[in-house]
Amino acid sequence: MNDAHVADRAALYALGALDEQESAAVQAHVSGCPQCEQVVGAAEGDVLLLASQGPRHRAPAELDRRVHRLLQPPNTLPTRAVGPRFAALAAAFLIGILPSLYLWQQNRSLRENSGAQRVAGFRSNDPSLAASVTYAPDGSWYVIFVRGASRTLGVAWMHDGRQTMLGSAKPHDGVAMLYLPKSHRMNQLALVDGVRVVADAQLPY
Amino acid sequence: LAAAFAAHERSAFGLAYRRYASLLYSAAYNVLGNAEEAQDCVHDAIAKLWRAPAPYSIQRGSLRSFLVVCVRNEAISRRRSQGRRARLEQRLAGLAPEHDELPGGDPIERDLVRNAFAKLPEDQRTPLRMAFYEGKTHVEIASELKAPLGTIKSRISLGLRKIGAALGTRENASDAR
Repeated sequence: MNDAHVADRAALYALGALDEQESAAVQAHVSGCPQCEQVVGAAEGDVLLLASQGPRHRAPAELDRRVHRLLQPPNTLPTRAVGPRFAALAAAFLIGILPSLYLWQQNRSLRENSGAQRVAGFRSNDPSLAASVTYAPDGSWYVIFVRGASRTLGVAWMHDGRQTMLGSAKPHDGVAMLYLPKSHRMNQLALVDGVRVVADAQLPY
Repeated sequence: LAAAFAAHERSAFGLAYRRYASLLYSAAYNVLGNAEEAQDCVHDAIAKLWRAPAPYSIQRGSLRSFLVVCVRNEAISRRRSQGRRARLEQRLAGLAPEHDELPGGDPIERDLVRNAFAKLPEDQRTPLRMAFYEGKTHVEIASELKAPLGTIKSRISLGLRKIGAALGTRENASDAR
């Protein structure tokens, strides 16, 4: 990695006036240097002003579809048309074997990590609501348990003064559970009833 | 949105694309001059960001600016690598667009940017124009203008800062020469 500061190349980077190698070096440096990152960010703002002056075109529907496909979770990717026999076999495999494999894998992963897993309680003003979150120290998974829930509650990640909805926990016989595979650590979670936060939990690591 | 994007949330990437789709596509199209290539460019730029571990952080500033620069840089890189400068020059010479244009941005902002650009000293305006509108590298610009690389770098930086200052996005660039 190039440790030299890149503030003097911020404008050239933002304008696209560096060659690919130089541009990649700036990107690499900026990702670890808050000081240069701000300078590059400011230059990007100036280039946006210039770029916004050019003619504006509607993005084609095909591009929308391609980006949508790109960002789809892997298990929702559309399948290609296949023969009926193969389709039946594939369906049997998907319905019968894959969920078992998935659950087995999740179970194994939970058991392997059980020694290191952590638990945090949710604080709530509602005494009938008892909720907790069990989570991996590396932030790779979270399981939220809610007891005394009479309706579906949203689970939100609270960060930077914002609230990002992660999913919902639907109760069965007063108990609701939500499993969240993730790739990053979340320090604060909240349970949300409609738009109202009814409980929150701090997750130390 | 920016915080969720920085946290690499899948939904934030989708929302950011939907919010800035026409801006990003236009940034690519205005460099490449070809609808199909512009589509590929935007798609690939977003795919690169999606696959990168942490391409953006809140400290960097505006997510919109970051995305536009990523797409533009991808477009410029494609044009350079595929030797399409001649095609661009042809397009700039007045070829009809491939599709209808949307109404442009804020006309007041456009006037401010044009005025700021016009007011730049010639020695800053020319290299900035060559970098932004002609997609040339600072090495090419220095060679064409027969000026030292460092001088060209400074002039471009100064000129760009003045454009930002004219619209108040820069707090203190009025002291620039």
